[in-house]
Amino acid sequence: MAADQGGRLRLVASAPGPDVGPGSAGGDPIGATGRSTDRRRRPLFAAVPALVWMLLFFVLPLVVFAIYSVLTAGLYEVSTPLTLDPYRDAITDPLNRTLARNSVIVGVATATVCIAVGLPVAYWLRFAAGRWRLAVLFLITASMFASYLVRIYAWRSVLGSEGIINSGLVSLGLIDEPLSFLLYNRGAVVIALVHIFLPFVVLVLYAAMTPMSDGLLEAGRDLGAGSVMLWRRVVMPIMAAPCWNAFVFVFILSAADYVTPQFLGGREGTTLGVRIQAAFISVGNWPLAAATSFLMLGGFVLLHLAGSFVLRRLRLNDLRLAT
Amino acid sequence: MNERRQSSPVTAVFVVVSLVFLFVPLLVVVLFSFNSIGSLSLPFRGFSLRWYRQVFESPVFRSSLRSSAIVATATAVSTLILGTLAAYALSRARTRWRAPLALVLFLPLTLPGLFIGLSLLVLFGEAEVSLSLTTVAIAHLVYVMPYFLLIAVAALQRLDPALEEAGADLGANGWLVFTRVTLPQVWPVLMGATFLAFALSFDEFVITFFVIGPESTLPMFIFSSLRRTVDPSINAISTLLLAITLALFAGSFYLTLRGGRRSVIAVTGETGSA
Repeated sequence: MAADQGGRLRLVASAPGPDVGPGSAGGDPIGATGRSTDRRRRPLFAAVPALVWMLLFFVLPLVVFAIYSVLTAGLYEVSTPLTLDPYRDAITDPLNRTLARNSVIVGVATATVCIAVGLPVAYWLRFAAGRWRLAVLFLITASMFASYLVRIYAWRSVLGSEGIINSGLVSLGLIDEPLSFLLYNRGAVVIALVHIFLPFVVLVLYAAMTPMSDGLLEAGRDLGAGSVMLWRRVVMPIMAAPCWNAFVFVFILSAADYVTPQFLGGREGTTLGVRIQAAFISVGNWPLAAATSFLMLGGFVLLHLAGSFVLRRLRLNDLRLAT
Repeated sequence: MNERRQSSPVTAVFVVVSLVFLFVPLLVVVLFSFNSIGSLSLPFRGFSLRWYRQVFESPVFRSSLRSSAIVATATAVSTLILGTLAAYALSRARTRWRAPLALVLFLPLTLPGLFIGLSLLVLFGEAEVSLSLTTVAIAHLVYVMPYFLLIAVAALQRLDPALEEAGADLGANGWLVFTRVTLPQVWPVLMGATFLAFALSFDEFVITFFVIGPESTLPMFIFSSLRRTVDPSINAISTLLLAITLALFAGSFYLTLRGGRRSVIAVTGETGSA
């Protein structure tokens, strides 16, 4: 009984943050006894196989790839004189600039639409779904697992000149010729990418909303706030940080996507990812592809840091919800 | 209906529109895979299985299906082993090494597949490893690991530490506690996460494109048919791929849900008939 009580207490104590854990039993920050140090350290060895795998096949490849970005380019080969030329070429190349702009537009548009749609859906799931919650959660999670290539193909089928929208409109007699502006542009790329990332964004924002209590919104309403005010003053401040994280995640993955633009983008919708892939595979300029990749990664890191800085200045980065 | 439910008509509209947006394009593909004429355009001409027959008669399709199954099985099994150990370490270790460890294990989640694939291709080139299904499985393990860990670590952190401590106090060593106390509680969730790993690997294309050798996986097969265009059997192949991944997902969902309930029972101390 006493042991059970102790376990319960510790469980409660460990609830607020994952850093205070079972082994450390409250106030033993340095592991005063040998046994408790042992108990705390030993589990770490279990991670060694996975860690070695990640170092060998994730970290090491990136290091080698980074070295490639400062080597002299040959045709499908690299040679030793170290140089920053690949970076200079990647930055000054006018095509790269156009494609980088396209990547940013596609990334921002995709991430913005995902958040703008995902947030109300997550809100509904948390506060208004009632008995529909599990069913809708199931459907949205299921759609996350729909094959990536099949989605791209599906949108090509829906938007194409022989596709269901055009053939439908023609057979209804509303148009005489297929609308050609539906496919092979940036918009089509964004639609398919939103289709790919929306389920993920909904689930992440829903998870971020679960700690929000009903009482929080009721308190706002009792104080006379309408729906708009409630969103502006209660929901948005709490959701700012999760929304930003989801935004960066979707931005990175959609700006660097190289498959969707190939099939749906046409000339206007081509992005930097397509160029990197082509520079590596079909042009054979490996340092250029590597330098462009690392410039892109640098941009992603800067974006993330800038956003976190702003959130911290606005004191929105670490809201604790009293429930 | 166990809590106060508020009405929110505006957000409900977003939900309906999202579900239509998410499912209609996929349903179109499924529907037209049964169309008797080889066109995606309306109107629908009648039910037929001829595209499925054509797909299954194609030797390239059958070998791609086999390759995908081999890669996904290898990935899922190795993820289960390495991932379970790593998840245990992440959920139980309380030293300053935990944060850098978590960083390395979770980082592939945020790195676009383009960069993972290219950098692995460079590494394999430098190490003069010839590309094959083995290199694909190696890459898939990197890609799938963070997803597995997300689920497994959450499940392990939900467990009541008192049970493990009781085991240790009764004299069981670390391994015995892990296999006899910890594992039985989270096993269904781990199986669900393994299904997920299988599904992710089965459908992976972005990284596979760079590290695959002469063989072809199912997504590679779809990619090349997409390039050739106007082959109506691609509807049938797509439907098959959707069906396989969704079946795996449903299995994973069921196991994780059941496992979640089991660990709730473990925490509340209820035993017996449940």
